This record gives sequence, C-alpha cells and structure tokens, in this order.
Amino acid sequence: MGKYFVVFRVSLAERMVYRADFFMSTFLRFIPIITTILLWRAIYDGADQTEIGGLHYEQMVSYYLLIMIVRAFGSMPKLATSIALAIREGELRKYILQPIDYLTYMLTLRCAHKLVYFVMSAIPYTLIFWICADYLPGWPGPMMFCLSVLTLTMTFCIGFAINSLIGLLGFWFLEVATFIHAFMTLQYFLSGHMFPLSLLPKSVEQVVTWLPFAYETYYPTLILLQKVSVDEALRIIAVQFVWGVVVGGICLVAWKRGLHRYAAFGG
Amino acid sequence: MRPRYSRILLRFWKNCLLREMTFRGHFILRVFGEVGWVFLLLVFIEVIFSKTSHVRGWSEPQYLFLMGTHMLVTSLFETLFFENCWRISDLVRKGDLDFVLVKPANTQFLLTFERIDFASLANLPVGIALCTYAAIQGGFTITFGHSVLFVLLIGTGVCMLYAMLFMFALTSVWLIRQTGLDALWFYAMSLSRYPAEIYRGFAGGTLWFVCVFVVPVLMVANLPANVMVRTFTTPFIINFIVAAAVLLILSNIALRWALRSYRSASS
Repeated sequence: MGKYFVVFRVSLAERMVYRADFFMSTFLRFIPIITTILLWRAIYDGADQTEIGGLHYEQMVSYYLLIMIVRAFGSMPKLATSIALAIREGELRKYILQPIDYLTYMLTLRCAHKLVYFVMSAIPYTLIFWICADYLPGWPGPMMFCLSVLTLTMTFCIGFAINSLIGLLGFWFLEVATFIHAFMTLQYFLSGHMFPLSLLPKSVEQVVTWLPFAYETYYPTLILLQKVSVDEALRIIAVQFVWGVVVGGICLVAWKRGLHRYAAFGG
Repeated sequence: MRPRYSRILLRFWKNCLLREMTFRGHFILRVFGEVGWVFLLLVFIEVIFSKTSHVRGWSEPQYLFLMGTHMLVTSLFETLFFENCWRISDLVRKGDLDFVLVKPANTQFLLTFERIDFASLANLPVGIALCTYAAIQGGFTITFGHSVLFVLLIGTGVCMLYAMLFMFALTSVWLIRQTGLDALWFYAMSLSRYPAEIYRGFAGGTLWFVCVFVVPVLMVANLPANVMVRTFTTPFIINFIVAAAVLLILSNIALRWALRSYRSASS
C-alpha cells in the first residue's frame, strides 16, 4: 500500500508543475455551459410547451451544470491513450518488471489527478454554481446526499474501467488513437452528455439507457438533479455496481490475455 | 537563393498523403469518426426542431445551412492548419523548433503548412451537401454574387481562425506546455456553431461582444450563412475582412516576438 501512496504523492507533484496550462484548460471548460444555457433558453422560448424531455427550463440548465460534476468524476482524459502508448512503445515492460500492479498503479495516478483537479477547479465550480444557484434543485437530504456520493464513486469506477479497457486494446491493435477518438465522440452522445437521453425517441431511449454509458453519466446526473426517488436511485447504483464489476472483470481478463501476447517491442 | 514555396508546399502535402496512406485503416476510421460527429450534431438539431419551430428566428433549413457553413469552415481549418498549430507546443517543449529555425525558408510558412490533415477534408463534401439540401428545403434565393461572397467569407473566416490559434499556440514559448489548444478549438467551435442571436442577456451579451469584437470566432460561420439565407450589412463584412487581415499581420509579429523568448530545450 505504501508504494501506491508514493505514486500518489509523486503524481500530485507532477500535476502541479504545469499550473498555467491546467488553469487555462479548467477555465475553458466553463465556456460551453453558457452557450448551452443560452441555446436552451432560445429553444424553450420558441417551443409551445414548458417541459421538454420531462424537464423544465431550470431543470434542463441544472442538468447541464450537474453533468459537469458527474463528468469530472467519470472522464479519464488520456488514460486509454497512455495505456495504449505504453503497450505500443514497450514502456509497459518497466512496470511489469517492478513489484507493482500496473492497473492499480494507473488507478492511483488517476486518483491523484482527480484530487488535484477537484482542488484546483473548486473556485471556478463554486463561482458558476453560485451564479446559477436559482436553477439548481437545492441541497439534497442526508439520504440523497449519501446516494449522490455513492453514484459518483461508481461513475469514477465505471469510467476508469471503460477507459482502461479501451487502452488495453493496444495489446491487439497497433494504433488505437483513432478508435479512442471515435469512441469518445459516441460516448458523448450515448452518455447523455450532449443532451438528456429522455429527448430521444422512446424506442431509441430504451436501447441507449441499457448501456453502461448511461449509468456512467446520465443516471447519476438524474440522481444529483433529484429527479429520481430513493428507490430508483438505489436501483441505479446497483446497476452501476453490476456494470462496474462486468467492465472491470473484462478489463482484468483483457490484461491477463494481453500480457500473454505482449512482445515488449521498442524501448 | 530564394526558396520555391510552391514546391515545398507540394512536397509537404505529398509527404502527408504518403503517411496517411501507410495507415489506411487508421485513415478510414478517422473519416468515419469525423462524419459520425456530424451525424450526431444533426441528430441534436433534429431533436431541437422536434420541440420548436424556430431558434431565435432561425428556421430549421436556415439552422441547417448554418451548420453546413460551420462544417465547411471547420473542415478547411482542420485540414490545413489545426495540426500545424497543435504541434507548435511539442516543437517548443522538445526543442525541435531549432530544426525549423535553421531551415532556409520563412519560419511561419514552415510552421503553418508542414502538415495537412486529409481525413478532416471528409466533412467538406458533407458541408456542401448539407448547405445544398438546406437551400433547397428552405427555397432560398441565392444569386451568383452571394455565392462568391460566401466563398470569400469562408476563406476569410478560415484565415482568421488560423491567425488566432497560431498566436495562442505561440504562448507555449512562455508556458512551455500548452495542451489547452485542442480544448480551445473545441470550445471556440461549440460557440460558433450556434446562431449569434442566442447570445442575449448580460452573460450572453458579454460573450457576444467578446466573440465578435475581441476574439471574433462567432462570425466565422454566422456571417457567411447570413449572407446566403438571411440579411447582412456591407460595413460588417468589410470590418470582418479587415479584422482577418489585421490578425494575420499580428500573427507574424507575434511569431517574431515569441522567437525572441525561445530558449530551445535540447542539451
């Protein structure tokens, strides 16, 4: 455990080196939310109904605000790419030779990245949520708060498992960067990040909401939005757990099988 | 002896085409990825117009035309300039900019045209098809003069985007790492693909002012689309062209300024 703590500490320090770059990226992340709010204002003004996809205007704005929190837990920038690159360029060899589990090592790095991100982006997040306080549903009760923490933790686990699995495809394919890009684009849509999945035609919605992506982003956002009952929230978290175990399990199998194929080229 | 830039340009493009054709599967997947993203945006528009008949005065055909125009601008920019701007940070950080500086040709020319991204060109015919479809569906009257102006403004918009992103990329000389470029591009594009009329109120109005007069990304698709399917004013067009010319000159001045601070990174 001690060695992973060292990895965590080193990664924290590494993330703090390029602070200007980090602040720039974090700041830019908030620009589209303004556009999204304005666009939906225009859509609601033009529509002859007050509810679209089961959401009022305020709830729609909240949905996009809260999805930023959910994505902060679930998104794993460059995780898949770095795993695939380590496999392709032979860098993985150095981790295999050490008394360290590579996937746990990557998980530790990611925890450090997330911690730095949450601390550094706390001010802009607080500011934008304070400005948009009128749209937000208000603080949840203790039960819903606990469920929100739980669902966000599961989001992190599913996000890590999915992205690791995509990265591990590098054992079988030489170049996966393009696949990762195409996958991210599809995920943006299927996870409800682009717009709430309830806006889709019913038949499409039924299919899409079965996939792990919906449980990684869409449903956790509904829990944060307090659009679901406690029972429904518990069901969502249970399904999240199942998806986490399934994708995590496939990930471990892929790692073991991949290692058998690994020829440690390069270096 | 004065370098023959047309021959250098052809050689650059030939090299890039050879590189793309070496990994044909990768290239085809990228093309699918690019077109897939457009498809998802069209789904989003369809969802919007299933709930409302207009967005701040833009009917569905007009909105589709704007989307098609946006696609033309982004496709041209990404094909010609995005990768070149993006790699400036890498060149600076690794000290490889030295190899560009010692070549007996204009530095900005070499930095601007060395790479061409053929996969991004896939959206050009899609954009043309979308504009044509929207024009037929909306029954717009389009004259030859308007079409010439449309092409001119798209070219101007692409040059304007290039100048701005090139200057942003040059900040890596001081920041050393500048990974915010792709995020900046993504967010600039997410701002500019919507009708300018949605930017209302204090936040929207401020954003509109900044994105029209300070960092004029909002007009790169809106202005050409307005010329074709809505109304336009001649002074605004003249200002737009002048602004693009000024930005291009500024990009050259910025490069000279940045090079004075460049310290190289190799040992």
